[in-house]
Amino acid sequence: MREPVKQRIIKLLIGASIIFVAVLIIIFNLRDNLIYFYSPTDLVEINLNNNQEIRVGGLVADNSLKYEENSSIYRFVITDEKNIINVEYRGILPNLFAENKGVVVEGIYSGANNIIANKVLAKHDENYMPPEVIDALQKEGKWQGE
Amino acid sequence: MARRVSELLSYLGIVSLCICLLVSLAQIKIFYLKSNVNYINYFNLSLIQFVSCLLSFLILIYIFITSDFNFSLVYQNSHTEKPMIYKLSGSWGNHEGSLLMWILILTIFNFMFALMSKVNIRLTETTVGVQSFLILGFLLFLLFTSNPFSLLSESPNEGLGLNPILQDPFLAIHPPILYLGYVGFSLIFSLAIAGLLLNNIDKNWASIAKKWTLSAWVLLTAGIGLGSYWAYNELGWGGYWFWDPVENASLMPWLAGTALIHCVSILEKRNTLQSWTVLLSILTFALSLIGTFLVRSGILNSVHAFASDPSRGLFILAFLLIVLIASLFIFARKGPFLDKEIKYHLLSRETGILVNNWLFLTVLFIVFLGTVYPIFTDIVLNENITVGPKYYIFSITPIIFLFIFAMIITPFLNWSTNNYKILIQKIYKPTLLSVMLIFSISLYFDKLSITEISLLILSSILIMANLNSNILFKNNSFYLTSNIGRALTHAGFALLIISIIANASYAKEKITQAKVDDKIIVGNYDFIFSSISQEKEKNYHKIIANFEMQQHSGTLKKLSPEIRFYNNPPTITSETSIARMLFRDIYIVMNVPENQEFINVRIHIKPFMNFIWVSILMMMIGGLFSISYRIKNS
Repeated sequence: MREPVKQRIIKLLIGASIIFVAVLIIIFNLRDNLIYFYSPTDLVEINLNNNQEIRVGGLVADNSLKYEENSSIYRFVITDEKNIINVEYRGILPNLFAENKGVVVEGIYSGANNIIANKVLAKHDENYMPPEVIDALQKEGKWQGE
Repeated sequence: MARRVSELLSYLGIVSLCICLLVSLAQIKIFYLKSNVNYINYFNLSLIQFVSCLLSFLILIYIFITSDFNFSLVYQNSHTEKPMIYKLSGSWGNHEGSLLMWILILTIFNFMFALMSKVNIRLTETTVGVQSFLILGFLLFLLFTSNPFSLLSESPNEGLGLNPILQDPFLAIHPPILYLGYVGFSLIFSLAIAGLLLNNIDKNWASIAKKWTLSAWVLLTAGIGLGSYWAYNELGWGGYWFWDPVENASLMPWLAGTALIHCVSILEKRNTLQSWTVLLSILTFALSLIGTFLVRSGILNSVHAFASDPSRGLFILAFLLIVLIASLFIFARKGPFLDKEIKYHLLSRETGILVNNWLFLTVLFIVFLGTVYPIFTDIVLNENITVGPKYYIFSITPIIFLFIFAMIITPFLNWSTNNYKILIQKIYKPTLLSVMLIFSISLYFDKLSITEISLLILSSILIMANLNSNILFKNNSFYLTSNIGRALTHAGFALLIISIIANASYAKEKITQAKVDDKIIVGNYDFIFSSISQEKEKNYHKIIANFEMQQHSGTLKKLSPEIRFYNNPPTITSETSIARMLFRDIYIVMNVPENQEFINVRIHIKPFMNFIWVSILMMMIGGLFSISYRIKNS
């Protein structure tokens, strides 16, 4: 009943190479679409290419939220109490967005400490703090929670 | 007095769980001893398991309905001002309650299986034994780490409330349905292990397994669909699928389960691929457990993030490992000797279904990698990353091509032999018709890319070929073939692809601010912001913005998105307002910035949304047709 050994080996090799190529394509694709998270201090310390898609988290700095009526753009500053990054966002801010509260934004790093956000994430629970933000604040020793 | 009642209820709840635990132990013993047990024995025991779990679950519901704040669980998750339906859903909206529900469903499937499959008593009894092992594991978890009936030393007057975002009718029924799906696959797992232990994986095994796999599949599909519907209505982002880890957690068992349905068919018809079927059964249930682990452990950072507890995640992980290692050990000892090799032509239905299985596994790998990789980098490299949705879209789109292609061809192929002539005869008309149809449509809608056009053509062929050959018109009346279930499911999948493409390509969005009497123009529609008002409801107050949607100066519909300010716990949510029309949804969300005279509005025009829901429904109905056909014929 069994097929000849040679035939089985050929089948196996073809199968293995298809799987190898597929996995390679998938992994490269994954690498191209990873969005890294940085704190404002990370951004100062590393040299990031412009136009890269990133996430930044921290606290919304006091008195930093401004709204430009004619272009409907929000501007605010995210801080980890050591460094800052300026955010530009065209859209609707989440209900729980507030100064001195945690926030994570996703968008394009446009150099010179600016990010053009396409998503602003503030969680639905008032007491919830995004884990990334806690991390970022802990690194700078500014975390006051548990 | 009330305190005494609570103590009694708490006691009763725990005792009935303990009874269930003891009976489960007895069930496991049955398949160890291999004594000459008869049908009555394990059937009665499974009935006791079910009834005792049900009793304890009913107590849970009772204490939530009556807002008995002596119980710490009720105190933390409920509030007297909450509407009744959310008091009810609050009972399974938390970790302890959902775990109890998970166990209840395990016992339901256990009992149903004992009730319905009386043919092969040895197999049934062993399956019930394996299933009881799972019940036992979860019961230990519940009793030792998450007792739902623990009492507070002093009874507070008021509870803390339920997260308002969870106060949605669809979310209330979503977890039970999703769990029914997840846990449904536990039964296939038990059946597979029982079959392995008895060296009894054959055609008969497959025809039992197929029914149960289909049932679990329909429920899981419904669960995923409801979750997506909730996200669309409630999250206010205009999307229905975000490739979010929690969503992926439910998609992974679905992918494996769908592959399993197809592979069981080969086993049933051709009596081959035994070990592969068993492996897929194990994989599907393992993915259900992984899904639960990912969602409940809080390891994921998700838009759906629930309050969660890492130590509980650890238990599920440990349980998952035990289940996996034990089942793979049994598989390694028994599995390889099960296979019966058969010969089949390269262009036969076997090949088609095997291709399908490989494609499912590839998609599964893609989703798994995207979901798990960020966890890996977080723990091992201490790097915090997210996987963008583009990864999934770019990786999966080419596979969708192959999928639809295989789905068009395979049902018209014969088992084992090649008969391409019938294939060509069956699909040449749908192909010609689809090409003409889609080309003429694409002349009118100029935005479509080549990829989209070719996907649309393939999907259209799939729908036409399926419906054409399974809904027959003879003697002035319609007949459905016995394959109508498969045809509907496959056509539903094609419709889903068409709807997703139309939805993505022709969606319009406008974000702007508005004052009363302003007019916003999006596409062919005008939106007049006519007024703003406030209202007070039972457990929240709300600001309502009233819009009139007009086309050619005639008012079509009124839309009124809201902002809700909940009291307990104090939370603000945006309620979308959606006008559902046949070919498009109009979707408005707003919020009210502080100290401004305007409101922020986002208006989406989302084409083909209804068809997305209809296509999921079609897939489910197809599954139900298949199940009913099988029950009728057995």
